[in-house]
Amino acid sequence: MRLALREMVRRPGRFTVAVGMLTLLAVLLLLLGGLLDGLATGSTGAVRAQEGELLTFSATSRDSFVRSQISADTRAAVDAVPGVRSTSGLGVTLVGARVQGREEFENAAVWGYQGGVRGVPAPPPAGEAWVDRRLEAAGARVGGTLRLGPTAVPVRIRGFVDDTSYLLQAGVWVSPAEWRRVTATVRPDRILPPGSFQVLSVDLASGAAPDSVATAIDRATRDGATGATSTLTKQAAIDAIPGVKSQRGTFTFIINTTLLVAAVVVALFFALLTLERTALYGVLKAIGASSTQIVRGLFVQAVVVAAVALVIGEVLTLGLGAVIPREVPLLLEPGRAVTSAVSVLLAALVGSAISVRRIIRIDPATAIGGGA
Amino acid sequence: MRLALREIRRSKVRFALLTVAIGLLVFLAFFMQTLLVNLLGFFTGALEHQSATVLVYGEDARRSLEGSNVTMEQVDAVARVPGVASSGPLGERTLTVRADGEAVDAVLFGYRLGGPGAPTLMASGRRPRGADEGVGSSIDAEQGFGLGDAIEVLPGGDGTGRPLTIRITGTADESRFSVLPTVFVPWNTYVDAVRLANPAAPEVRPSAVAVIPAPGVSPGALAARINREVAGVEALTREQAVADAPGVSSVSQSFSLIIGLTYIVITIVIGFFFVILTVQKAASLTLLRAIGADTRTLVGALFVQVLIVVVLAMAIGAGILMLAALGSSPVFPIQADPALVARVGVTILVLALLAALVAARRIARIDPVDAVNRPTLGGLS
Repeated sequence: MRLALREMVRRPGRFTVAVGMLTLLAVLLLLLGGLLDGLATGSTGAVRAQEGELLTFSATSRDSFVRSQISADTRAAVDAVPGVRSTSGLGVTLVGARVQGREEFENAAVWGYQGGVRGVPAPPPAGEAWVDRRLEAAGARVGGTLRLGPTAVPVRIRGFVDDTSYLLQAGVWVSPAEWRRVTATVRPDRILPPGSFQVLSVDLASGAAPDSVATAIDRATRDGATGATSTLTKQAAIDAIPGVKSQRGTFTFIINTTLLVAAVVVALFFALLTLERTALYGVLKAIGASSTQIVRGLFVQAVVVAAVALVIGEVLTLGLGAVIPREVPLLLEPGRAVTSAVSVLLAALVGSAISVRRIIRIDPATAIGGGA
Repeated sequence: MRLALREIRRSKVRFALLTVAIGLLVFLAFFMQTLLVNLLGFFTGALEHQSATVLVYGEDARRSLEGSNVTMEQVDAVARVPGVASSGPLGERTLTVRADGEAVDAVLFGYRLGGPGAPTLMASGRRPRGADEGVGSSIDAEQGFGLGDAIEVLPGGDGTGRPLTIRITGTADESRFSVLPTVFVPWNTYVDAVRLANPAAPEVRPSAVAVIPAPGVSPGALAARINREVAGVEALTREQAVADAPGVSSVSQSFSLIIGLTYIVITIVIGFFFVILTVQKAASLTLLRAIGADTRTLVGALFVQVLIVVVLAMAIGAGILMLAALGSSPVFPIQADPALVARVGVTILVLALLAALVAARRIARIDPVDAVNRPTLGGLS
């Protein structure tokens, strides 16, 4: 092991190629992971923030917030299901919002809610809103005004909240009455009857099993006189948001292929290195070094190459992240950096393992020409 | 050539590993480029392939058809702008429909029959002539949106209304929207469908105004004129509307960044591999030069090897792409375009040959005299 490290210290140039290639692959991995996280976080924040364990949609909405409608009667039926402690009504309308003093419109999702949203205080009074911090970058300030939609419905910013975006649109949290007022002017074809909401966030009684209660809710609404429902766990509701599942699948596939490439590149590099050192390994074996010691040295070198590449890759990615345009939804999080680092280290170990067989088969006799 | 092939035969593991590594990288480049083109087409195909060359959105729409709505007064105001040959309402709405026995999401595009907004890339059948007829996106034909199929728009609210049946009278190519099956229907059918989805809606507004300019008037000039003369709207040419649709620029930029990085990785992997190989066999190359092999022969052998590796890698990449296309879901069918694959392939080949120039330069600098200076070659140091 000491020998392997000494070689790296004395002849760092020999390992530059592998470090360079792995660095680029690490940047690729971190960018892919960052895009996936950025898309997922920006699309799902408002749903992740729901305190209710279940979300109830109307059955024909295909679990889409904007297409769902839950009437007051249906809500009463849901409230009566054993295991349901309380329900909160939710509705969302996607609008263009102008920040005070700015001409351009920003993307906003106006949520009408009755409470039960983690990190968002109780619904504000009429004409006010809790606003996602995403709009701060567009110039929004506490006490300032947002003008919503073409008729510029004004709402005063009461304060900022974090991580409540929906479909990459900043959450604007208002009272149900305010939400109805905005919807009536911005999207009149999406107005709901009085007392109706798009979705119910369902808080469960302690000890109630989410899956059983979800089934019971849908059975109760199907058999009753009210509209049928589709009740999902919060995670299932997140997966039902347009694009979330397919984005995750596609990016995971590309990330896994990139990891495979990293493993093959490391395999290629160490196969070449081993070939070059065959005679040297023969000498080492002739003077008493075991195959295990040599293989251990190889693994150490693979890990060091990967670790150096990861450090440089992380720095480069952070640099790129700082200059990438705002519309690219890149989110670089420590958790993703750790996962990527572990994956690359494993890929390096697996890749370098391809040379193990060759090392084991080296005959010490080659050191004195016995292999010739 | 023979020299190059013999070396490959003798160093199978080395070249196999390199070919697999490059093959996977080539696949990544093919896959991401294909995904990008497919994704952008599925996002905006219906918008790109309808007949209006100017689209007028609500000013707050942020150039999103889905986020836009205009009033009927604005539709009339646009019609009065000089230079407008024909115009009409264009509606876009995602609804729950039953197709092929299953409830699925689908987009309805509503346009006034005989007016702008009709599908332009007809693949089969005919455009709608009356109520409750529609043209489906041809890529979704197998999912119940094919010629002769009937889809049902399911009622919203409490779900107790009667579904609205739309008969598919034709299909159109490259006509999806928001990555969903899309059906072009008459404006009145669109209004009925939206009302069915939300019976409480007091009115159904058009999403945009679809406009065709008069002969001699360019779409760009007409869009500028509409923006000057009609309040509360933003007129765009069709090309602008497609390019600026939500998600298009961020998807393009994100993928371009990753694809660019993949090209760099491919170039560096090929370049460095052949440099290492050249350094490792420097003694043999010196000897070959000493016994009469000229630089052109040795460099030629290098480029032959690069060509073989890259061509095999492309075959691997294209093969995996085909498998990915076969295994893709009907919701997001990946379609490998041979022309696109060929374009990406040529780019990679050019980059590979450029990368090999570093190794070629090293070969060209080999001095045959070294053969008599090197003890390893039997010379005197």
